[in-house]
Amino acid sequence: MIEPTPPHTRRYADAQLENIDRLGDQLLFYGKAYGSIPRALVRYKREVVTQIAAITFGSGALAAVGGSAAVVGFINVMTGTEVTTQGYASLTNVGIEVLTGLFVAFISVRIVVPVVAAVALVATVGAGITAELGARRISDEIDALEVMAIPPIPYLVATRIVAGLAAITPLYALALLMSWLASWLAATSLYGLSAGAYAHYFTTFLIPSDVLVSYVEVVVMSVVIVSIHCYYGFHASGGPAGVGVAVGRSVRLSLILVLITLFALTLVLYGNSSTLHITR
Amino acid sequence: MVLTMPRISVSAAAEPIGGFLAMTLDSAVCLFTRRLHVREFLEQTKFVAGVSTMPSILVMIPFAGFVVFILNQLLGQIGAVDLAGTGAAFAVTREVGPIASVLVVSGAGATAICADLGARTIREELDAMRVLGIDPIHRLVVPRILASGLVALVLDAVVSVVGLATGYMFSVVVQGGSAGQYMASMTLLTGLPELALSGIKSLVYGLAAGMVACYKGLSVGGGPKAVGEAVNQTVILSLVVLFVFNTVASAAFTQLGIGTS
Repeated sequence: MIEPTPPHTRRYADAQLENIDRLGDQLLFYGKAYGSIPRALVRYKREVVTQIAAITFGSGALAAVGGSAAVVGFINVMTGTEVTTQGYASLTNVGIEVLTGLFVAFISVRIVVPVVAAVALVATVGAGITAELGARRISDEIDALEVMAIPPIPYLVATRIVAGLAAITPLYALALLMSWLASWLAATSLYGLSAGAYAHYFTTFLIPSDVLVSYVEVVVMSVVIVSIHCYYGFHASGGPAGVGVAVGRSVRLSLILVLITLFALTLVLYGNSSTLHITR
Repeated sequence: MVLTMPRISVSAAAEPIGGFLAMTLDSAVCLFTRRLHVREFLEQTKFVAGVSTMPSILVMIPFAGFVVFILNQLLGQIGAVDLAGTGAAFAVTREVGPIASVLVVSGAGATAICADLGARTIREELDAMRVLGIDPIHRLVVPRILASGLVALVLDAVVSVVGLATGYMFSVVVQGGSAGQYMASMTLLTGLPELALSGIKSLVYGLAAGMVACYKGLSVGGGPKAVGEAVNQTVILSLVVLFVFNTVASAAFTQLGIGTS
């Protein structure tokens, strides 16, 4: 006679199976969303344009403070100052504070601005998408779309992915410029470095291909962020409180996945060949 | 969706700031004048730690990995790979550790606190508490703020260890540094003052993230969008506080010249 499975083992197995189920569900959702991008571009141009505006300038309460663009710009001003502070402080130790420009050019493009821009996007654009789609789901607006024969995935999800891709270019340019401007201001006026020396080392070691690589990283991360937040918003349940929980969960997951993506892209894109040549 | 111009009025902009300051002041007074609700504090600490620990480790491994990788490329250019430990310890203790710990406390812990309090607010549980003569600030807000601060502080220690271990793996196994030199050079630029700064940063951020979450949770309005928007604003506000405070704290630390070096 076969022994019956002990209840806790079964519960554990069920939980694991459910996780695999959910993963498959999520991947299927992303597949459908990416597959319907052409349809969104052809049929729902208006919605794409509306979403570009919503992503760049925010909707609701976020719009009152200037939207995602203002938040991304402000945070980058702060971190740009921070990069100069740390670079200047550690280079002064060895008496080469004049190389602060090199430190800023290297560290801000390769590390700081992509990370900070991605985190700011998770908080502003991503969480906003989950809150909005979740509110639509729990007030049955998504079911209403289906009843009206408007397919919700192309109309709601694919349009947002396209809009995210379109809005990321100006947002990232803003992030880079704000960060550089703040670093330059801090170095020249706060720490009294010579503006000419700073500019010389900054422009000498600012490698154009690095800027391009960091842009590619941010574009990939924007797709990851928008997709995850759309999934959690699209599948929210449990009333207004459930939407709050969904926003929290989606932020947690997308923070992890964004950093893993960045890590993988860094290894692939910067990996073997170093474009930085100080001594050659 | 119709795009509307945001209506900007002074009272609408000033009200949340005043409300937030009032709640902060209330909690500060309550913290020192009334006994802490220990049971709630422990439960909240367990809750915030439960939702934040795994995500913070999962955030820290790639974060530290790529920062150390790029720093080592820079060090390799000037022939100083033997200082890989210095770079890793400097970056992880001073910047990456506190930021990763608090990103997760605000992204996972504060959002959960805000969602929970927001759900209670819209179910009018808080009004019921007030009717029963229980002060929500004492019973709910203070324990949550303290729990968030404590978890951020402890997580900073956890992620710093994870970060240094990741840095070791990268420097020694991937980029061919020497194991002994990595260990020996770790303390070159990083000493007790840097460690203290790291802890202070995390503690203050954690407290601030908790305060923002509680304020946003308690001031949730009506409608299906309300709680979701409150959580969204919690993430944005705590992030802004995080980066502003990070810059101010580092600049003050450097200006005062307390560092090891």
